[in-house]
Amino acid sequence: MKVKKELWFGFSLMAIILATVVIFMPWSNFVDGHLSRADLGYLGLLMLALIVVAIMLGFPTAFTLMGMGVFFGWLSYRSVNPDLAVQQILDLMVQRAYSVMSNDVLIAIPLFVFMGYLVERANLIEKLFKSLHLSLARVPGALAVATIVTCAIFATATGIVGAVVTLMGLLALPAMLRAGYNIKLAAGAITAGGCLGILIPPSVLLIVYGATAGVSVVKLYAGAFFPGIMLAGLYVGYVIIVAKWKPHLAPPLAASERIVPLPPLSQTLSSRSPNALAGLFGGLSVPSLPKRQVATQLFVSLLPAISIIALLLLMYAGATAPIAAVDTTGLVQSGGSLAADSDKPAEASGLQEPPKEEGGLQEPPKEGADLKEPPVEPGQSASAATVSPPAAAASVQAVTAPAVPAPAERVPAPTWYWIVFGLGMAGLLLVNWLMSWQRLEIFKMLLASFFPLAVMIIAVLGSIVFGLATPTEAAAVGAFGGLLLAGAYRYIAAKQAKSGNAVVKTMVDLGGIIKESSFLTAKTSAMVCWLFVGSSIFSAAFALLGGQEIIERWVLSLGLTTLQFMLLSQFIIFILGWPLEWTEIIVIFMPIFIPLLPKFGVDPLFFGLLVALNLQTAFLSPPVAMAAFYLKGVSPKHVTLNQIFAGMMPFMGIQVLALLLLYIWPQIGMWLPNLLYK
Amino acid sequence: MQKLLLTIDKISTFVGQAFSWLIVSLTLMISWEVFSRYVLDHPHSWAFDVMIMMYGTLFMMAGAYTLSKAGHVRGDVLYGFFEPRTQAIIDLILYVLFFMPGVFALTYAGYYYAAESWAINEHSTITAEGPPIYPFKTMLPLAGAFLLVQGIVEIIRCAICIKQGSWPTRIEDVEEVDVDKLKEMVHVKDDDIAKLDQFVVQQGSTK
Repeated sequence: MKVKKELWFGFSLMAIILATVVIFMPWSNFVDGHLSRADLGYLGLLMLALIVVAIMLGFPTAFTLMGMGVFFGWLSYRSVNPDLAVQQILDLMVQRAYSVMSNDVLIAIPLFVFMGYLVERANLIEKLFKSLHLSLARVPGALAVATIVTCAIFATATGIVGAVVTLMGLLALPAMLRAGYNIKLAAGAITAGGCLGILIPPSVLLIVYGATAGVSVVKLYAGAFFPGIMLAGLYVGYVIIVAKWKPHLAPPLAASERIVPLPPLSQTLSSRSPNALAGLFGGLSVPSLPKRQVATQLFVSLLPAISIIALLLLMYAGATAPIAAVDTTGLVQSGGSLAADSDKPAEASGLQEPPKEEGGLQEPPKEGADLKEPPVEPGQSASAATVSPPAAAASVQAVTAPAVPAPAERVPAPTWYWIVFGLGMAGLLLVNWLMSWQRLEIFKMLLASFFPLAVMIIAVLGSIVFGLATPTEAAAVGAFGGLLLAGAYRYIAAKQAKSGNAVVKTMVDLGGIIKESSFLTAKTSAMVCWLFVGSSIFSAAFALLGGQEIIERWVLSLGLTTLQFMLLSQFIIFILGWPLEWTEIIVIFMPIFIPLLPKFGVDPLFFGLLVALNLQTAFLSPPVAMAAFYLKGVSPKHVTLNQIFAGMMPFMGIQVLALLLLYIWPQIGMWLPNLLYK
Repeated sequence: MQKLLLTIDKISTFVGQAFSWLIVSLTLMISWEVFSRYVLDHPHSWAFDVMIMMYGTLFMMAGAYTLSKAGHVRGDVLYGFFEPRTQAIIDLILYVLFFMPGVFALTYAGYYYAAESWAINEHSTITAEGPPIYPFKTMLPLAGAFLLVQGIVEIIRCAICIKQGSWPTRIEDVEEVDVDKLKEMVHVKDDDIAKLDQFVVQQGSTK
């Protein structure tokens, strides 16, 4: 029986842990009652072993930690002064609990969680997936690629693995199966994509790590951005290669699947010209057509052009503005010294690498800088999707719009600006030339699903990373944005349903959404934060007992090199990911690893990125991979769990590869934080 | 007995849900504060203190609520494989061993911690004219007390389960992944999923 095997394995693991502890414990000293410093340390290790066993037994971890922390802390105090021990441990405990209650890092957790629930309930994933898979239709393995991209965006905004995997299992899995995709590939794409939200900021994992390790969350976000993109890129790359190499696993979409139905107006106009722009211009002068509709369509199709021009104008303003006159008052207040410093390095590298660095020089709204970087990539990589460059531009435009033109004394525009200008103009022409009626429809769909979410994420992340807002503030504004987004989408849905008053229906809907989301937020934050209460008491007791010293001495006595230490620690975390959840691993074990880092000259920030990437694999490693079970819950009954696991394996391999890449080239993660905060 | 348990569940749930609305006010307050600071150039000195208090109260008071919905994270490696009776025995032992002493100590210590704060009329020291902080500290023993009561309920549940061999029911609540709701949201019906099976079977047969 399978169940029995699992139990036996678990119990034997527990038995091994306990046996090791029992054998190595210096019992004779305990019996004597003379507890030396070293004995207490061993007691600390005993506590650590016991906690692993207790967690494996399945009792709520927060309270296991709390209870054990109190007991062992009391033992430790008692060995010094038995009379004061009770009072001391109570004081310690309440101080620790209060420090979690008033923690200004953890406060961002409920807000991000709230934002996630709201976005999830905005009900835009269906549109998002559809528009993405239509716009990516020509890419090999289009559906799987669209799945991963949808997951990446949606998971980033919500951060709820279970919901994302379930939703994609409902939407993407049927689509892929119908298109003849291999089950394993489809399952792998969904589960792997759904877990991306763990890594890509704004993720709760990074906040928890930041709070535990005392690393700035802002830096972690800046650092995790590119590794996250890289991982998503590797997934996409893998799918494309598989689709090219073995087309029977991921057959291209049938032509009938790609066609987007045109609205009647476009149909009439399309007979006049194959190009949407030309057709619409022509349509303006045709009296028989409704002028307002044509004008609206024209405006929409001109959006990419408008945003490119607006962007170029803004950049001109930024590039020619006297550097000294840059108005950083707002930035200095919030971002401290970094705002002033960030100009210089950005400018220097901007000269060498024109298209990427425009942001560094750009004027007042510093958001502009971050906005430009992400869009550059989709624009270049997704050449098949011609809508991407304008798309990227549009998202930039939306946020940079309120920029004020620079004051007097302009400097002549540097050469790189003209290169960018040329590229921009070429892009503009290309986009308008390629804008067929079909593409216009796809663009409109993207406009309604992809861009609002992308703009929101980029605005939240950008304002954090560029020091405009603290993570807390950005999270709150993001949650507010999620509220608006949910309201807007519900309003559109209510309008389309045409049942009663749309405004009233939206308000009722929205009320329900807010209620559900806040209840869920309360439960999720209580779960995470009570775990913190427990673990802070626990780690205080561990430190009191001196268990840390023993571990430190032991690790140092091994004489590991930095590489060996890193391999060992990542391996341990990887193994721990099997029985434990990421929250438990971080709050219990990071306090043990972090003090060792300086001894090996490892940056805790870099370590955090590796840990975040590593813990991703925990979600995909059988037999406790949550993602697989969520997918199994909504897939047809002949899809077996083993098929899903088999599908996840290559993606797990990619994660390990990504971990290696990040280790070999730390710049992938460290480049952005170093650029911004050094 | 079951009625009493459910009543206490309801109280915990009511308290937790009532305080969970703080997340809405927290969101609105910080959003307004950001607007006020950057656009109106009028920051409020008390904003940070109030933010922290809302957050702390929110999660502390939701502790019992979360417990009543079995929402606290637990290691699910072996637990799920146990028989309900085994689960209940383990839980019962660990509730008495870890939960009760821990939470009781927290409540007890929190009571004196808050009482001291009331006695000295403590105000926040983050800004010069900080708001009073004793109501916030009162949340600590209060949340502990609710948790303690809920913990007793859970212990009784374990006892009932050991006797009956199955877990007594709980009140339903919103769930993070509510498959039926999600299905409705994206307009997928069970039939559609069942129909898909043919593709799966087809693929299996070609191999």
